Amino acid sequence: MKLYEYQAKDVFKEAGITIPNSVLIEKPEEIENALAKVGTPCVVKSQVLSGGRGKAGLVKFTKTEAEAKSEVIRLFNHDLKIKKIMIEEAVNIEKEIYVSITVDPYLGKGLLIVSAEGGIDIETLAVTQPEKIIKEPIDLRYGLMPFQASRIAYSLNQPKVVTKALIKLFLNLYKVFRKYDAELVEINPLFITKDLEVVAGDGKLMIDDNSMFRQSEFDKIQTDYKTVAEFEAAEEGIPFIQFDGDIGLMCAGAGLTTTVYDLIHYEGGTIANYLEFGGPHYKKAVKAMEICLKVPSKVILIVTFGTIARADVMAEGIVDAIQRLKPDRPIVTCIRGTNELEAVKILKAAGLEPLFDTEEAVRTAVRIAQGGSQ
Amino acid sequence: MSIFIDQNTKVCVQGITGKEGSFWTKHMIELGTQVLCGVTPGKEGQFIEGKPVYNSVKAAVEHHGIDASMLFVPPRLTKDAVMEALDAGIKKIVTIADGIPLHDMVLIRQAAKEHNAFVVGGNTSGVISPKLAMMGSFPHWIERVYKKGNIGVMTRSGSLTNEVTAMIVEAGYGVSTLIGVGGDPVPGTRFAEFLPLYEADKETEAIVIIGELGGTMEEEVADAIKEGILTKPLVAFLGGRTAPKGQKMGHAGAIISGGKGSVEDKITALTEVGALVAERPRLVGKLLEKLNVAKK
Repeated sequence: MKLYEYQAKDVFKEAGITIPNSVLIEKPEEIENALAKVGTPCVVKSQVLSGGRGKAGLVKFTKTEAEAKSEVIRLFNHDLKIKKIMIEEAVNIEKEIYVSITVDPYLGKGLLIVSAEGGIDIETLAVTQPEKIIKEPIDLRYGLMPFQASRIAYSLNQPKVVTKALIKLFLNLYKVFRKYDAELVEINPLFITKDLEVVAGDGKLMIDDNSMFRQSEFDKIQTDYKTVAEFEAAEEGIPFIQFDGDIGLMCAGAGLTTTVYDLIHYEGGTIANYLEFGGPHYKKAVKAMEICLKVPSKVILIVTFGTIARADVMAEGIVDAIQRLKPDRPIVTCIRGTNELEAVKILKAAGLEPLFDTEEAVRTAVRIAQGGSQ
Repeated sequence: MSIFIDQNTKVCVQGITGKEGSFWTKHMIELGTQVLCGVTPGKEGQFIEGKPVYNSVKAAVEHHGIDASMLFVPPRLTKDAVMEALDAGIKKIVTIADGIPLHDMVLIRQAAKEHNAFVVGGNTSGVISPKLAMMGSFPHWIERVYKKGNIGVMTRSGSLTNEVTAMIVEAGYGVSTLIGVGGDPVPGTRFAEFLPLYEADKETEAIVIIGELGGTMEEEVADAIKEGILTKPLVAFLGGRTAPKGQKMGHAGAIISGGKGSVEDKITALTEVGALVAERPRLVGKLLEKLNVAKK
């Protein structure tokens, strides 16, 4: 789960990381009070979860109160339905640095990443100038050791007071990484001010979804949802992405769903939605179909080949869903796996014509979507 | 022959008294797996499928000389259960749990390396050597998928594995040992780490890997071929060729990050070292034929 910048910065502050003064506002009229506290110049920052806010015009540096006010009004009226805006003091910047801590799957260790070239896209830098990126593996059993933090801080050739502050910052950021079961904790840019202070200019904190049971202080659902279907899927924890094509996918198994997605493209079809109701969700056929029916599509394609997610249980769920929801569009089924013969019987008894071959099912769905018959 | 598990492997089941644990213990035994006992703290004295239950893995090892442990343990308890098995000296551990915390998996992988042990999973169906034995949750009785043969299969998926393996069997082949490394970003053991075992196995004549976008496990396999660690023919099927960039689709491990992990990168890496990549599941068998792999 991705946190908003203001949430990440609250966490940073609590961990002893310096952040700029700021006020969070939810209505345009709150800007007066915010400006009284923060002053000008200031930075007006939309609290949205998407990256590249600067480029998208969602973060603006403003010099005067009037400029700040008109920017706030513009952003609250933005199509993205921005709910919160951070008014942050403008910092006197001497230098920008990049810092993050993540997990390196190959090493199977934590990884502290630092670059003296801050404020830029680290993925681009990784390709163009990889030598400018410092990577320090962290053994999670011992944690980030002070000598590691110190070695990296000294290598950045900063004044002593800055070096000391950076060492502390790396160690504090590691504490955040562990405490919050982070997939990624990132400060980009990390400012070194003209007064030689080290201040977090931005804050990104992504909590591992599998660890949410022990990270209860944050709401599970806080992404900005574009559609009702997306919201309902998220509420159920069902992986779902909406597109604007013809075929609604209701498949089980992440790899299989992705493969069916590829096969539809090979056959010249288009996707209305990706929905994966395997694993812990295999008994949720009714909910899954309800979500699929909220998406405009010409046909719903159901493909499964489960082991623990038994075929007979899924077939019963699908029949139940069809009887309850009375779908207004054709359904193509291809249900295989544990107890697959029972599944075929269940589907046939309900008047469906189950297919047994993925490619055939995909071709059938594409044909229907293009106006052909079942 | 097979790798990792056969009819002689002495298996204990951690979490044997749970619903999934007892259900799949029955099927593991039915296939021929030597499940000798189970472990559930506080349930010592009970019997499941005729097998005694102990309070600790240490007791299981003392009574039965166990050499592999199968975990049917919830995600939040998995780290402790794996550490217990490692502490008892077990070198082969399979965990099917879906939802193990990321940092726990990092610690599990570090501990496994230190103990020179294999931890397979989580988020997997496990390991199966068809007609011999399995540790995991495979419907081994579906013959159009779990047929014995000479193809070693490694996979990151569950349902997709059934799909692809059914196509391998449709083409007239069978499987020596199938290992599901799991769909999480940090699996206990990675594809390339199993290659020396497959290379040494006389029965395995070719390898099929079932991968997808994200991560670098497929690229690591290409490196192993380049270094001569694997000399047997290899065919790959990779899901997510047409997946939109920057979108989290598929398994948790399946995102393109740091400019690495796209299916195109993987295809380039694999074909450069002589492996073949199938565009569709059905073509995997055809490519095995193209590499002159005998049908056994």
